Amino acid sequence: MTEDEVLQILNLIEKSSFDFLQLELGDLKLMVSKSGYIPGTAAGSGIAAAPVARPVMSSTAETKEPVAQAKPARAEAKPIDTGVVEGAVAITAPMVGTFYTAPEPGAAPFVQLGGRVDEDATVGLIEVMKVFNAVKSGAPGVIAKICVENGQFVEYGQTLFLVRPEVVLDNEDPPE
Amino acid sequence: MSITRVLVANRGEIAVRIIKACRALGIESVAAVSQADKESLPARTADRAVCIGPPRSADSYLKIESIIAAALGTGSNAVHPGYGFLAEKPELAEACAKHGLTFIGPRPENIRQMGNKLLARAAVSEFGIPVVPGSKKVKNLAEASRIAQEIGFPVLCKAAAGGGGRGIKIVADPKQLREAFETAAAEARAAFGDDTLYFERYIPNARHIEVQVLGDRFGNVIHVGERDCSLQRRYQKVIEEAPAPRLSEALREEIRQAAATVARNLHYENAGTVEFIVDQDRGAFYFLEVNTRIQVEHPVTEMITGIDLVQEQIRIADGQPLSLSQSEVRFSGHAIECRITAESPSHGFRPCPGSIVDWRPPEGPSVRVDSHCFSGYVVPPFYDSLLAKLITRGDDRSEAVERMRLALENFTVRGVDTVIPFLRFLLHHPDYTAGKVNTRWLEAQVEQFSHCA
Repeated sequence: MTEDEVLQILNLIEKSSFDFLQLELGDLKLMVSKSGYIPGTAAGSGIAAAPVARPVMSSTAETKEPVAQAKPARAEAKPIDTGVVEGAVAITAPMVGTFYTAPEPGAAPFVQLGGRVDEDATVGLIEVMKVFNAVKSGAPGVIAKICVENGQFVEYGQTLFLVRPEVVLDNEDPPE
Repeated sequence: MSITRVLVANRGEIAVRIIKACRALGIESVAAVSQADKESLPARTADRAVCIGPPRSADSYLKIESIIAAALGTGSNAVHPGYGFLAEKPELAEACAKHGLTFIGPRPENIRQMGNKLLARAAVSEFGIPVVPGSKKVKNLAEASRIAQEIGFPVLCKAAAGGGGRGIKIVADPKQLREAFETAAAEARAAFGDDTLYFERYIPNARHIEVQVLGDRFGNVIHVGERDCSLQRRYQKVIEEAPAPRLSEALREEIRQAAATVARNLHYENAGTVEFIVDQDRGAFYFLEVNTRIQVEHPVTEMITGIDLVQEQIRIADGQPLSLSQSEVRFSGHAIECRITAESPSHGFRPCPGSIVDWRPPEGPSVRVDSHCFSGYVVPPFYDSLLAKLITRGDDRSEAVERMRLALENFTVRGVDTVIPFLRFLLHHPDYTAGKVNTRWLEAQVEQFSHCA
């Protein structure tokens, strides 16, 4: 299942009158809950073994807001298309446009293979109608792969770099 | 042809339609798709697909910068906007010109002028075409009250920046005026960023008749006949047909000529539609607005003239003269279009996104289906609910109606609710068969249908 499909499912559930969805396709399990309701061990082994992120949305419980007003679901899981680099996360293009690896022609590139980046590091620029937009790393780590060339046209969501994350930071939520 | 690669800046059935037209002309096509449409039929059938942004149309299909970047990045030299989204935004046409891209549509000044309903009314009056009796800009409530009294209740309160049925309120009596005027202004401000309002006489027994026009850059202008789009629900068209039934030949010709006059005086380039209201009680017609784009219902015109309007749009944008003159336009037979939307008619027409488990459209020599759907397609919740346009043609109206009934019987959609049951109900209604309808008729049938469903 792709990230797109998960997003579509989340959107469908959000607009529906259902509170809870459990989907099993082969060894993939997806559970979505609008109220935080998770049916314990009802479906057997279930939850702990689920290999995908489990987006549990908690709507602001006792308010009288209609269900459809609940905050939109967002799949936080970014590590798709990690290619051959194991454990790496992708830095993807935030918009469609022309990608530049350096601040100006002839200048040194923002990042190099094996280089260390922190979360706010600029890794490149995307030009759209003469406006240059900085692309941020979004994740601290080491550049494990450069997937695009200078001056290349990139689509929205296209993988630009793979970053091997550094050891877990103390402000990060432990994986479930 | 100097156009060699077209970026299709739209989605759904019209994107598929444009891709087909490009292919027929030997032109490459690039589908600009949102993240939600990456696996869609346009993405699969175009020569290439480019993801331009996230699912929300404000972040993808409505972003001019992304459309231009996608066109330039893929080496496209023309952009087709389809209908809706950016089709009637003069800023897109201007951005295309600025970046050396051919915009497949009218000149930006025509889009801008016709996009403002007050400017359009003023311009068309100058051409000697009757407009619905009404006001200029209404500045405040006091003025609203005076003007509404002059026109007489019920009166229509309209947003100058509106169109396509959006930004309209019926005011039945003076007591409703304050609330209608204030909410209409607030809504128009929110929807169009412009709260200019004006009033029009409300015509209770009206038909909506529109005329397809084509113009090239050499000043040639032709009309390609009219369509009757009176069957509407909440100002959205449901069933359209061509030619318009129960219209005297004299009035039909007068309306067609009026449309051609409007287009000629605007020096209109490309495909457009001039909309009119026909007052059935007075036998009079009035100009309503000009739609500066290809329209959803264009296939009914194609089915009775044999003209491919989308191909014609591309040729005109390419700088070629019209492929035929007025005297070469031949009308033959009658065509009807039903809009198949993913809405549940038994649940107040609630939209029904979801997975289409089984998609089996009807087939036949006089049946046409314009659609982007297939078995297994997931209807995303982010966009409008149009799944398909079902079009039938007959030698006369009764044959077209008969074929539409049969086609609707043979249209199977499982997985999402559609309006097909409601359309079947309408197609068997004696008023519809007789053509005895007006723009309010269909709303009444919604009531009838929900009682018998």
